[in-house]
Amino acid sequence: MTFAEITQRLGTAFPDGIEVVEDTLMDPAVRIRADLAHAVCLWLRDDPDLHMDTLRVITATDRPPESIDVVWHLLSMRHRHTLVLKARLPRETPDVSTVSDLWASANWFEREQWDLMGVNFTGHPDLRRLMMPIDWVGHPLRKDYVRPDSYHGIPTSRDAVTPVTRAEIPRHLPKAEPTDDLMLINMGPVHPATHGVLNFLLETDGEIVRHAKPDVGYLHRSIEKIAEMNTYAGTMPYTDRVDYLGGMMTNQGWAMACERLLGIEVPRRAEFCRVIACELNRIASHLVGTGSMSMDLGAYTPFIHWLRERETINDIMERICGARLTYTYMRIGGVCRDIDRETLDKISAWLDHFEPICAEFDRLITGNEIFVHRLANVAVLTKEVALSYSIVGPNLRASGVKWDLRRDEPYSVYPELDFDIPVGLGWRGTVGDCYDRLLLRLFEIRECIKILRQAIAMIPDGEVRAKVPRILKPAANEAYGRVEAPRGEAGFYVTSDGTDKPWRVRIRTGCFTAMPVIEHMSPGLMIADIVAVIGSLDVIAPEVDR
Amino acid sequence: MLRDVANWIERLLGLDPATFAYSWITSVVVIGVMALVAFVFIAFFAGPVTWWERRLAGRIQSRIGPNRVGPQGVLQWLADGIKCFLKEDLIPAQADKGLYMFAPYLVFGGYMATFAVLPFGANLIAADLDVGLLYLLAITGLVVIGSLMAGWSSNNKWALFGGIRSAAQLVSYEIPSAFSLMSVVLAAGTMSMQGIIRQQGAWPWDWFVFRNPFLFLAFFLSLTSSIAEGNRTPFDLPEGESELVAGYHVEYSGMRFLWFMFAEWGNLWVIASIATVCFLGGWQIPGMSPAEIAASTGLAFWGWQALTLGVFVAKASVLVAFVIQVRWTLPRLRVDQLMITCWKYLVPGALFCLAGVLVLLAVVPENGIADWALRGVSLAAGLAIAVAYVWKTRAAYMADRDLYRRMEGKELWYPPFRLP
Repeated sequence: MTFAEITQRLGTAFPDGIEVVEDTLMDPAVRIRADLAHAVCLWLRDDPDLHMDTLRVITATDRPPESIDVVWHLLSMRHRHTLVLKARLPRETPDVSTVSDLWASANWFEREQWDLMGVNFTGHPDLRRLMMPIDWVGHPLRKDYVRPDSYHGIPTSRDAVTPVTRAEIPRHLPKAEPTDDLMLINMGPVHPATHGVLNFLLETDGEIVRHAKPDVGYLHRSIEKIAEMNTYAGTMPYTDRVDYLGGMMTNQGWAMACERLLGIEVPRRAEFCRVIACELNRIASHLVGTGSMSMDLGAYTPFIHWLRERETINDIMERICGARLTYTYMRIGGVCRDIDRETLDKISAWLDHFEPICAEFDRLITGNEIFVHRLANVAVLTKEVALSYSIVGPNLRASGVKWDLRRDEPYSVYPELDFDIPVGLGWRGTVGDCYDRLLLRLFEIRECIKILRQAIAMIPDGEVRAKVPRILKPAANEAYGRVEAPRGEAGFYVTSDGTDKPWRVRIRTGCFTAMPVIEHMSPGLMIADIVAVIGSLDVIAPEVDR
Repeated sequence: MLRDVANWIERLLGLDPATFAYSWITSVVVIGVMALVAFVFIAFFAGPVTWWERRLAGRIQSRIGPNRVGPQGVLQWLADGIKCFLKEDLIPAQADKGLYMFAPYLVFGGYMATFAVLPFGANLIAADLDVGLLYLLAITGLVVIGSLMAGWSSNNKWALFGGIRSAAQLVSYEIPSAFSLMSVVLAAGTMSMQGIIRQQGAWPWDWFVFRNPFLFLAFFLSLTSSIAEGNRTPFDLPEGESELVAGYHVEYSGMRFLWFMFAEWGNLWVIASIATVCFLGGWQIPGMSPAEIAASTGLAFWGWQALTLGVFVAKASVLVAFVIQVRWTLPRLRVDQLMITCWKYLVPGALFCLAGVLVLLAVVPENGIADWALRGVSLAAGLAIAVAYVWKTRAAYMADRDLYRRMEGKELWYPPFRLP
């Protein structure tokens, strides 16, 4: 359905609901009356012709002195149309009704926006701080926020010289021991299975988990805030820290958002360079994801074999951009340097070498009976739940939804390339179980190989960077750049204000929505299953916290 | 053996063992010395075998492994030991101090006590008890208490999980382990370790493992359940790193941690030697009967002892290598699957073997045609498995080697003396 039809229907259903139809560089946007937000969302979700089944992200933008904008990015995977809803709230009393009863993913989105921006989502079941400590004062992303000098005796400034005394720091969550014969146990923040600083509060009955509560924020580096203080080009190195395993993709997401704002056309060779780098990076990321998952289940050898292969990718990346982990390869308007013929030959040689290795991995672990029994039918993520939790990427596809941004919202040169999108079929159990999620990643690796072979064959000659002004000053506008990262959609929602720094940057990552679903799936699982679930969802901490 | 050595020493001192009043003193001294020998053996087995395991794991994972301390890293275990020895022995403030400090010794003691009845050669055994196998099954019960104690006293929830898992696992797997060894006892008619070995012959068709299909099956059941008792992958749940951090010894450091590690790798020897004794003909040398060895004197006697020791160590080492390879190949079971494996498959399987052996003992006369037919069938099955194993390993290796050669332009495998 086109945007005009959607607005027309919306206008019919809510005659005085639409305030402004905005013309921005992102998806078509409508500003609605704030008090109608919940009703409009409910109608958009349930109307059979619109069927907005997914809430992409909720963003709050501070617009001092008078208002705060709340933005809902909605998507219908069934009808393949999008809509952006906006509501303008008074800055003093930014109250808006929650939509967490419509989409489960809204729960965490709203908590984060309340925490960082102070938007009060009325009716929210559990409006606590998500990233900051529970007793933090103020909302850091507001433009008039003043940083406190210290927090429980710990100086917040880099150049403070006051000695740190051991202070009683309240924990993230109140930790009352559960009463009814359950044991409360902290899985994390430092635990071998959580791959980074995540915390799960498990309420266990023996080995059986009754409830697992994810507790995030340990790796919150406020990249959104940093981006507001940086130039557009200067934010690029921060974006690959968002997802350290898929830095190329987050680079590209940021570059695409900025290019859309500035109206820059990327040269064709640069697009191919981007695709080659991204797909190599995707392979590397899936290697770590599937490998570390098998390590979590006790099989060390596959992990080491995968890392051996990843080492070659790292060498190639080093040739391409000089870095092995945090690439910063993309530039606004292209890439930082060309991929030479020798490197392309090296990639081809490696692909020839790597393809049989995939079969070796399958021989070693994928078909292993213990491994299959550990994963099959464990933690089934049904299609409905996955959509409600806004799960994206391989996790969503493993649940049987064929949705891949490379194909469904095409960007770069992906439409010209021929590749399949594997979907979970319940290979050894149910659709959407841990085994599907693992196997899907292994299939995706093979698709990446296909893409790389084509891209290497098709890469044209030419420039790798567009002519871009030295100082980037986009006019006041909004853009949303999104790419298919290894862990799902990496989206950058950028609001510019005419200066050389963005007004507001919102980063939407796949892991942020994958975390709360663990809480949903946990009851009845065993402790060892929780490990398998974390591994199979491929959750990494920096992407959750940003 | 103990008594013999004591008597020999007394005779050496010019005393008549029959009338010497303080004979018990010599016995105590001999016991002490033997305990020391066993301890030194564990240290010198467990240490190098960690190096061996790490090198083997390195090969499996296409990396090198420790190769810095000493030639090819053979002294790595000494460096690790010294490091642990010099580390602070940390005791958590909230721990139950007494139990916490005592637990590692109990675990280690449980495994070390088994060495009293483990034979190494024709006459190399500390005490050839009549109930050797029973003693062995019983004394490893100490390990359960030790690991439960460690888990509980650490006052750490992960450690507690590890301790409880360990207790559940060990207690469960004792049963199939005991039952499958009981079929051997039935076939041998004795529980004495040396007695069981003497009942077998030196050639493979005389070993219990190839005596009949039931014992053949019992061998695998016994090996599986003793791997489970030894907390090794795929049964390493009590210390499953990615789940329980380190299990019941998560809080331990320094020397106390080392005791656990000693026990774990010392146990590798226990696993391997029980299987060697009960199924693989122990130290027997082809063409030399145990009676002849016992009858020989002087240098010849000790020569035979050394030879039998060599045979035993060789057989046990093959099994140790197998257990190591299993560890670096398989993933870990989940706790409910662990219990299902034990109670639904291993226990009935072991009982089935026991019943089968009973029936065969009653029905099939020894050295009859039927007996030899059964041996032939088992031996053929064993050979088939061995050939398939070697062939598959070789095929996988060849494929990997070709890949590597094509990619890197150099050989994947290089002999150990040319390691970088």
